[in-house]
Amino acid sequence: MTSNWITTRAWLLMLPLLIVMIAIIGWPLVDTVRLSFTDAKLVGTAGGFVGLDNYVKMLSGANFQRTLVTTTLFAVLSVAAEMVIGVLAALLLNQQFYGRSVLRALMILPWALPTVVNATLWRLIYNPEYGALNAALTQIGLLDTYRSWLGEPGTALTALIVADCWKNFPLVALIALAALQAVPRDITAASMVDGASAWARFRFVIMPYLAGPLMVALVLRTIEAFKVFDLIWVMTRGGPANSTRTLSILVYQEAFSFQRAGSGASLALIVTLLVTVLAVAYAALIRKSAGAS
Amino acid sequence: MSALELIDIRKRYGVIETLRGIDLSLASGEFLVLLGSSGCGKSTLLNIIAGLAEATEGDVRIGDRSVTGVHPKDRDIAMVFQSYALYPNMSVARNIGFGLEMRKVPAAERTDAVRKTAKILQIENLLERKPSELSGGQRQRVAIGRALVRDPQIFLFDEPLSNLDAKLRMEMRTELKRLHLMLGTTIVYVTHDQIEAMTLATRIAVMRDGQIEQLATPDEIYNHPATRYVASFVGSPPMNMLEATVAEGIAHIDGSLSGFALPADIREKAGQARDVVIGIRPESLSLAPAGDAALGIDAMVEVVELTGPELVVTSTIGSQRLTASLPPKSAVTAGMAQRFAIDAGALHIFDKATGRRL
Ligand SMILES: Nc1ncnc2c1ncn2[C@@H]1O[C@H](COP(=O)(O)OP(=O)(O)O)[C@@H](O)[C@H]1O
Ligand SMILES: [Mg+2]
Repeated sequence: MTSNWITTRAWLLMLPLLIVMIAIIGWPLVDTVRLSFTDAKLVGTAGGFVGLDNYVKMLSGANFQRTLVTTTLFAVLSVAAEMVIGVLAALLLNQQFYGRSVLRALMILPWALPTVVNATLWRLIYNPEYGALNAALTQIGLLDTYRSWLGEPGTALTALIVADCWKNFPLVALIALAALQAVPRDITAASMVDGASAWARFRFVIMPYLAGPLMVALVLRTIEAFKVFDLIWVMTRGGPANSTRTLSILVYQEAFSFQRAGSGASLALIVTLLVTVLAVAYAALIRKSAGAS
Repeated sequence: MSALELIDIRKRYGVIETLRGIDLSLASGEFLVLLGSSGCGKSTLLNIIAGLAEATEGDVRIGDRSVTGVHPKDRDIAMVFQSYALYPNMSVARNIGFGLEMRKVPAAERTDAVRKTAKILQIENLLERKPSELSGGQRQRVAIGRALVRDPQIFLFDEPLSNLDAKLRMEMRTELKRLHLMLGTTIVYVTHDQIEAMTLATRIAVMRDGQIEQLATPDEIYNHPATRYVASFVGSPPMNMLEATVAEGIAHIDGSLSGFALPADIREKAGQARDVVIGIRPESLSLAPAGDAALGIDAMVEVVELTGPELVVTSTIGSQRLTASLPPKSAVTAGMAQRFAIDAGALHIFDKATGRRL
């Protein structure tokens, strides 16, 4: 049997799957690209070819630029906080104490909840009339009058970041905890004999073991945070005054609220490109740090 | 002044008592080997000395100071781990100097100390490498260097050679001996390898089930083992242990028709004991002509193995086994009856019930 035939047979065997993949992934993608060059509406007109008009309009629009800033702010702040809280939680859960396994299991809970449930829960907490946050803050005297955390442009984004953090720090903690458990006991013991303080031990001995896994968590979380949609959609719909409008929300509004399928498609492709650039940059970073250690 | 003193050290994990009262005192410059089979509590004891584990009861004194409750870094000890425990992200030089770095020794002084240590261990050319770029033997040297550079009161070694291949292990053994002679440091060294123990130690503590079975010089351990356990743990091939019944000064080997008259001094030691175990090292046996009148025993040769420097002959006496180490050219044939002469000065006799030397 020739290797040629083996190759042919392999392709034949993969053919059904390839057809399905092309149909459900390839075709919509190609169609989106096509749409992005037209002035199609969501319903009604099929639209005519307009060249790069959609792209130019979107990229130069104030909406896009402001949304890009909001998205970046959301992604950077929430991911940074998640990394710090996640690592601290992992360090804590790596200690020996009574009830540790229960706490470890409980910690996963926020991450295991569907985002919609999580978002609804936080909406209740932030509720201006009967929310727990207002109640707690006034009762301990930090706040005079109830505030509408999600209703004021000044606090809405921060409130969303907190909610996102609460949901996603467990993932970071889980990854960090696994990495911590891979630190050989003898290495920790050796650093104790060597006289390393808790901070020095973390910085020089433990951190090198955490760096790689944390880099993976960072990549995963940044890309996800950059694409955030459901959490914000449920909690603020991008408001108030568009202060929490991220790129995904903008895509949705453009395509579905304003029914401009053509420019919506071009915006979606721009976001896809941005995320791809992020992913590629991170992948290079991971390869580099893996090569270094 | 004793460099190290352990006073009634006990360690319990739940209901299991891992260490059951360890007492010992170590003079400065001694090389103490804790010898015992796996799981007998050697590492636990070493960790308690290091401060990496807390004793349930008892006191550890280093240089006449109680260190119970004192952090490992303040105990003036250094430790070499079985797994080497080198920091994988740091260069060899930084690995060696890390203890000094953490103790805020100035960089210049540190570099000097690292150099000097590297020179002693002949790893000067490796200082810039990462541990992953080193062979097992080189890593071992770095691990030792990390301990040496700090010049502590006591060095603790936990089976440092067990991850090396046989040839390298022998080399490093000699190297450790050289270091100890050169630097005169106090060492506590854990191993399950009796040859390491015999060659390195100034004293050996043979451990069994969380207790010290015998604490003595290698010579004493080898020639006057306090118990049957110690006797069979040290020596290769291990000491023959023949169960026998003594009657009127004659030892009748159980399960056979053989026997021999005990030499006068042994007979005296045996006293009224009837059920005994007679220990004979394989190397204190030699070939004797049949019917020879001197102290000896008849056996049936089963297997003859040439190991190179010696001929190991395994025979049976009734239901019991007798192993002899003979010169390589000895005339022995498997399947033949053979009389072995016994070196009367090298007979050991133990109480069968308690296992203690009589
Ligand atoms: N952290 C621990 N928890 C429970 N049992 C332990 C622990 N550490 C050691 N042991 C037990 O103590 C005994 C002695 O262990 P160890 O000192 O490591 O033996 P060795 O070093 O002589 O091989 C073993 O039976 C082991 O199971
Ligand atoms: Mg051990």
